[in-house]
Amino acid sequence: MILETKKLVKEFGKLLATNNVSFSVNKGDIHAIIGPNGAGKSTFFNLITGYHIPDSGKVFFKGKEITKLPSYRRCRLGITRSFQITSIYPKLTVYESILMALLSRHRVTLNLFSSADKYFREEVWSILEDVGLADQAHVNGDSISHGDKKRLELAVTLGTKPELLLLDEPTCGMSPEETESIMAMIKNLVDKKGLTILFTEHDMGVVFGIARRISVLHQGSMIADGTPEEVRASEEVQKVYLGGAA
Amino acid sequence: MEANTTDKKSSWLKSGWWLILLVAAGLAAPYVISEFYLLILGEALIMSLFALSFNLLFGHMGQLPFGQAAFYGLGGYGIAMLLTKYQMNFWLSFVAGIGLAALAGLIIGIFCVRLRGIYFSILTLAFGQLIFVIIYKWHDFTGGDDGIQGVFPPEFLKTSVSYYYFVLLVFCIAAFILWRITHSPFGYILKAMRENSERTEFLGVPIARYQLIAFVISAAFAGLAGALWAPFYRSVAPSTLIWIKSGEPVMATILGGAGLFFGPVLGTFIITFFHAYILGFTHFWPIIMGTLILIVIFFLPGGVLGFIKEKLDNRKKRGQQS
Repeated sequence: MILETKKLVKEFGKLLATNNVSFSVNKGDIHAIIGPNGAGKSTFFNLITGYHIPDSGKVFFKGKEITKLPSYRRCRLGITRSFQITSIYPKLTVYESILMALLSRHRVTLNLFSSADKYFREEVWSILEDVGLADQAHVNGDSISHGDKKRLELAVTLGTKPELLLLDEPTCGMSPEETESIMAMIKNLVDKKGLTILFTEHDMGVVFGIARRISVLHQGSMIADGTPEEVRASEEVQKVYLGGAA
Repeated sequence: MEANTTDKKSSWLKSGWWLILLVAAGLAAPYVISEFYLLILGEALIMSLFALSFNLLFGHMGQLPFGQAAFYGLGGYGIAMLLTKYQMNFWLSFVAGIGLAALAGLIIGIFCVRLRGIYFSILTLAFGQLIFVIIYKWHDFTGGDDGIQGVFPPEFLKTSVSYYYFVLLVFCIAAFILWRITHSPFGYILKAMRENSERTEFLGVPIARYQLIAFVISAAFAGLAGALWAPFYRSVAPSTLIWIKSGEPVMATILGGAGLFFGPVLGTFIITFFHAYILGFTHFWPIIMGTLILIVIFFLPGGVLGFIKEKLDNRKKRGQQS
């Protein structure tokens, strides 16, 4: 078990965005969180990454309590995330963007006088190769295609060498081909690098195609949690969410 | 990748030649220009350093401080008061002036770095004015609006030529240090925070702490500029701390170009020399300055240096194509 939450509660005014959610993620899993719009997926993500602090309940990462740690500390422990609205560095090159992650991970960011260009060249190039962006290394982040931006964001998060990677709608706005290639990439990462992935996704084809475990949120509560088959078979899930589609 | 590194080296050499040429011109200046313009040149160098300190936060980190004059003024007041009131050694006073500015930067920075955008600017402005008012009103201690006179450099720096060389030397060293900082891993992280602070936090960077470090460095260099200025002008006055003074590096940086390291220097040189020249025949300087800024904002959004660089890059590209 790499991540565990215990009775997490988060309220925004009168809105109960996260209602008593306890769940866990196993190491090396590809774990999806699904639910209709407004089910509280983003809030739940934010509680895990430290963007929000819960009103009550606890979050554990590798057995250590992290409920109130700021985001950057969680990142240093090995949790990082991508955003639903792709979050990259528009005016930095692809190469520089990945370098930023490496500078931070290797804790050389307080070095004020050496030249940053000299650091970690091989490692940056190997990540660029991994995600297939090597030919665009010296292009600015805002000049590459939407699919490549998603890829770049993933590459930047990989630069921090996370153990647990949270992906918020990783295929949002992508063409079917781009979706397929990024899903293949994610699967590859889990198999090769032993990453654990927790992701939200609205495309049920993607979810059932790749997830090994699925949790379903509805109005802030977790109504189902299990293997894709178990979730598909759950009557409650059928009722509130999947409808006849699955 | 190999091609890229050699490319970088050759372009550095090219820009390196420009720098060597400029430094040589700076060294030769006392033999070429009149004493009046030598003083203007000294002033331009000091103000350039002030503008560079500002641009560390503005151009490189993406936050606009509007209270930078407080640190500049504290550097000046620090050295002036230690020299005249306590008869301390010049060099100790000089360093203490910088230290005072850095200390003030640390205390003010703790409050300011939590804020972003306009809120950051306004809070730095408020703190800047607070320091101005303290120095302006505390007549018994600081001399109030009379300022402090008789701030002399050591004997061997008393002539305008020797002090000019001292300013040139300090400017070159300080600019080199700042240049190194902006190209260091720390400088890169500042850029990352400018481009996307949320993303950067999720790379494991404590944003507020890094902004604070940059704020203190910036304050120290502003203080260094102030500590150079007081003995140059032989006095300090509260006008060195007022918000109008904080606006000067903003103007200079926008004029020269915030995106390039030497943009603020070019902007400061244009303003300082233009100012000295125009005042020879008219008092309507602000109108001319305003027009200049408007032209730059509308037609050269990257500043004058940004414009020149763009033209040079285009020419290079065309040269490669043909």
